[in-house]
Amino acid sequence: MHRRAFLTAVAGGWLAQASGASSRSPAGGILGAAASVGHLLRDGGVPAPQGPPERADVVIVGGGVSGLSAAWRLREAGLDVIVLEIEPFLGGTSASSDDGAAPHPFGAHYLAAPNPEARAALRLLSEMGALTHWDAAGRPVFDPRLLCHAPQERIFFEGAWHPGLVPLDALRPDERAELARFSEVEARMTARLGADGRPWFQIPVDQSSRDPEVIALDRLTMAEWLDREGYRTRFLRWYVRYATLDDFGGEPEDVSAWAGLHYFAARKLRTPELEGSHFLVWPEGNGRLVKALAAASPARRRTGTLVTRVAPLAGRPGVEVVAFEPPGRAYRLEARAAIVATPGFVARRLVPGAADRGLPDRAASPWLVANLHVDRPVDPDLPWDSVIWGADGLGYVDARHQLTTLSDRTVLTYYRAYGGVDVASTRARLAVAPWGALADDVLRDLAPAHPDLRAETSRMDLVVWGHAMPRPRRGFLGHRPFEVPTTLADRIAWAHVDQTGLALFEEAQARGVRAAESLADALGKDLGETWL
Amino acid sequence: MASPAPALPRRYVHPALLASVFVIATSGIVYELVTGTLASYVLGDSVAQFSLVIGIYLFAMGVGSYLSRYIESDLLERFVDIELGVALAGGLSAPILFKIYASYGAFKVALYLLVAIIGVLVGLEIPLLIRLLEFSLDLKELVARVLALDYVGALVASILFPSILLPHLGIQQTSLFFGFLNGLVAFGCTFLFPMPRAVVLRLRGRAIVVLATLGVGFFVATRFVERSEALYFGAPIVYAEQSPYQRVVLTQTSRTTRLFLNGNLQFSSDDEVRYHEALVHPAVAALGRDPRTVLVLGGGDGLATRELLRYPSIERIVLVDLDGAVTRAFSNLPVATKLNGGSLRDPRVVVHNEDAFRWCEESTDSFDLAVVDFPDPSNYAVGKLYTDAFYHLLRQRLGVRGVAVIQSTSPQYARQSFWSIVTTIEASGFTAAPYHVYVPSFGDWGFVLVGAEGLAAPSTLRLSRDELRWLEPSTLPELFRFPRDTGRVPAPVNRLNDQKLVAIYTHEWGQLGR
Repeated sequence: MHRRAFLTAVAGGWLAQASGASSRSPAGGILGAAASVGHLLRDGGVPAPQGPPERADVVIVGGGVSGLSAAWRLREAGLDVIVLEIEPFLGGTSASSDDGAAPHPFGAHYLAAPNPEARAALRLLSEMGALTHWDAAGRPVFDPRLLCHAPQERIFFEGAWHPGLVPLDALRPDERAELARFSEVEARMTARLGADGRPWFQIPVDQSSRDPEVIALDRLTMAEWLDREGYRTRFLRWYVRYATLDDFGGEPEDVSAWAGLHYFAARKLRTPELEGSHFLVWPEGNGRLVKALAAASPARRRTGTLVTRVAPLAGRPGVEVVAFEPPGRAYRLEARAAIVATPGFVARRLVPGAADRGLPDRAASPWLVANLHVDRPVDPDLPWDSVIWGADGLGYVDARHQLTTLSDRTVLTYYRAYGGVDVASTRARLAVAPWGALADDVLRDLAPAHPDLRAETSRMDLVVWGHAMPRPRRGFLGHRPFEVPTTLADRIAWAHVDQTGLALFEEAQARGVRAAESLADALGKDLGETWL
Repeated sequence: MASPAPALPRRYVHPALLASVFVIATSGIVYELVTGTLASYVLGDSVAQFSLVIGIYLFAMGVGSYLSRYIESDLLERFVDIELGVALAGGLSAPILFKIYASYGAFKVALYLLVAIIGVLVGLEIPLLIRLLEFSLDLKELVARVLALDYVGALVASILFPSILLPHLGIQQTSLFFGFLNGLVAFGCTFLFPMPRAVVLRLRGRAIVVLATLGVGFFVATRFVERSEALYFGAPIVYAEQSPYQRVVLTQTSRTTRLFLNGNLQFSSDDEVRYHEALVHPAVAALGRDPRTVLVLGGGDGLATRELLRYPSIERIVLVDLDGAVTRAFSNLPVATKLNGGSLRDPRVVVHNEDAFRWCEESTDSFDLAVVDFPDPSNYAVGKLYTDAFYHLLRQRLGVRGVAVIQSTSPQYARQSFWSIVTTIEASGFTAAPYHVYVPSFGDWGFVLVGAEGLAAPSTLRLSRDELRWLEPSTLPELFRFPRDTGRVPAPVNRLNDQKLVAIYTHEWGQLGR
């Protein structure tokens, strides 16, 4: 910082205090309506549907990545498709806002360069122009502007910022040695093929190996695996915990070792262009992908709509859907087919008899996402992602990092996953927590690295994701790994990451595309080659 | 209430009083020099500015001397007040003028007003002092001593100002420092002359306020750059501005003007011709046709544009420079327009103060020629303008068989950085023709000609020998030959997601500093 800027800031802070502005608090609120509306499903209170049924060819319940991908898959079939979304916005946990100094995410904020096997994701990126061409070796090449610009990360460790996520200089030799050992194992597992010829870990998840040797990892928690392999140093344990919280919202003590290692060993793409960073980052995070999915399909979209029932029509082929637009009317839709793009616990309530179809029963991790609109100059030498060692949250990303222009305001998106085993009581606590208390939590968590953040923050918008993502607990792969029902009833398909248990963008897309393709016969449409 | 006549023993003048006369005289001249210098810096035409400032100042002193006759009572208290007034007006003159520097109208008004105020107050000093001391000495002795000291002080100031004060203390500190000395004289007077206690306390109170103001001003000005900059740059600062992006400093000595951005030399008028001729003319020659439209990225000093405007075929030059502070200074300051020939105000030139990366992304124009003259890649913000992503954008802004030239740091001091830029350019699908030139202020400096396949080093120039000052066709081939110690080395492609060049560059230049 320039000395003058520093002094001005100090003087400004002092003046602000002297003028009584020291108690300045950001404005803001909790966004989204899902909890109060969604719980009507559980608690009842939805009026009976009225009027003649509305018609559509396909009703898609859920406007997250799975649902939008299903609509995207059906775009050329000449069908009347309607997407119903409970939230006031599309995208599920990939939603975003364009309001403020920069577009910013409400949830998922990056997409690691997809493996060549994630064909639906690569198709979408290609349509967006994010995938510019394929190199001579047949590997995808991405628009360099979208890969996370340097510097990518920093960590606040023992009172100082260090570049990167690992403060190598500040670690003890035994800690560094363990990290080195772990990354060797990571590299080995990334390259490892099972006896069935499939990679140990793959995305889409169902293309992973069924080899008992790797499936056996699912019988351990990540913490148990670390113990077994003799990983004991505090930094490595923290690092792995950061990973399981980041991807699955769960503590290593509660997450399957198979899932924990999948995080480290599933990304296979290695090209010179990706050496610096293989993260595709937009200011609004995966909200940009949601926009692209929505724009690429002619489907009708209706937000703020709660669906209470999805069932086969009695006596003739077709599906009846009951929808409610609180606080107004409830109505019926009749369609030739439906795709339920919701988590399993919702699908069970929507579709009569779905519970008997062997739907997995997964815990869901609660998350808190805070968008801090801050008045501070964007410093291009600062990274995209800032992590605070020892904090409750996972740190924050700067929405303006990928924009190449300077600004004196930005939006910081802070993430906190509640990884404890008892998700239900955490969720209950979060559901009633007032905005002020949660905002204070966020500022307190960031205070060790940013004591002055409160004064710089003009607005803080919170999104409480009660059921942000399935948590792949020990044993989540079950007795028949990756064989999960796609059909919930006649002409009703299921599309959600809950099917396989890992909340990844490519996975959500694959599930949506699969569900859409499974309805081709029922709809009497030739959808051509699979997109998977 | 009339103050009692000072009751000093006859024929004795306290040496401190004589010292005060000396200080008063010295600072009087210093203020004149400070304002005169600032006037010539900002308004140009130093002869006119200095003679105007001196004229107004002397006239105002005369007005002050005449006005002294209206001061009849409380002589001592008035004298101290006037001293404090001089201290404030003179001491704060440079900081005030620096503050309002940007608005030209206000600057002139403030300048002449300050000169007049200081002149009147200084003009009051000596007559009052003589009257204060008239009981202590014979008139002939008094006049002889006071006036002699006054003129000695003037000489000392005239010698110290250009040699020590301006270059080492800085112009703001100089004016504040002498203001402080004036204030001390006022403060000291309250000890040397007997006065009623109430008056003494009142005067000391005022003096302390004035001294504190100037002291804080001096501390602030010193802390922030001015003094250290003057030392650092080793030359008087003509213009200094902290823009949102960088610190812009122009220095000027009798023969050389230099531009510094964040302390890094951008050009020296001694040899900028070499740099800018080498930057512009080989590219025009490589184009192989008369350029009509040119894009200049960076280059807010207008010097590359000056070279481009020598080509009558050029119809339009679009200059994109992030920092409005630079382009404004080089459009308006006489010291700057003298160098660039007013190129930024030429009707063929359009200036955009925008981020070049963003501008290239959003523009749909295409150009025959692009001159890319960014600062060196010393941080990530500038480093992005040396990435493959940026060169892809640049390609889109070039028309069919368009040519660009890219400033590429020194192959001598930052060899791998230079070749990393070349490698990055090639990885972006351009053909590159690297070359270098010796610029005494910088050392051996590198550029890269870029274009479509088939681009070749030019062997002729499109301007005649008379139109250029340094470059000539016979030296062209030499520019494209690299001696063994600067020749090509393996270097990585610089990408947005690693910016390896920034690390290499800071490492290479960092080694030099050690």
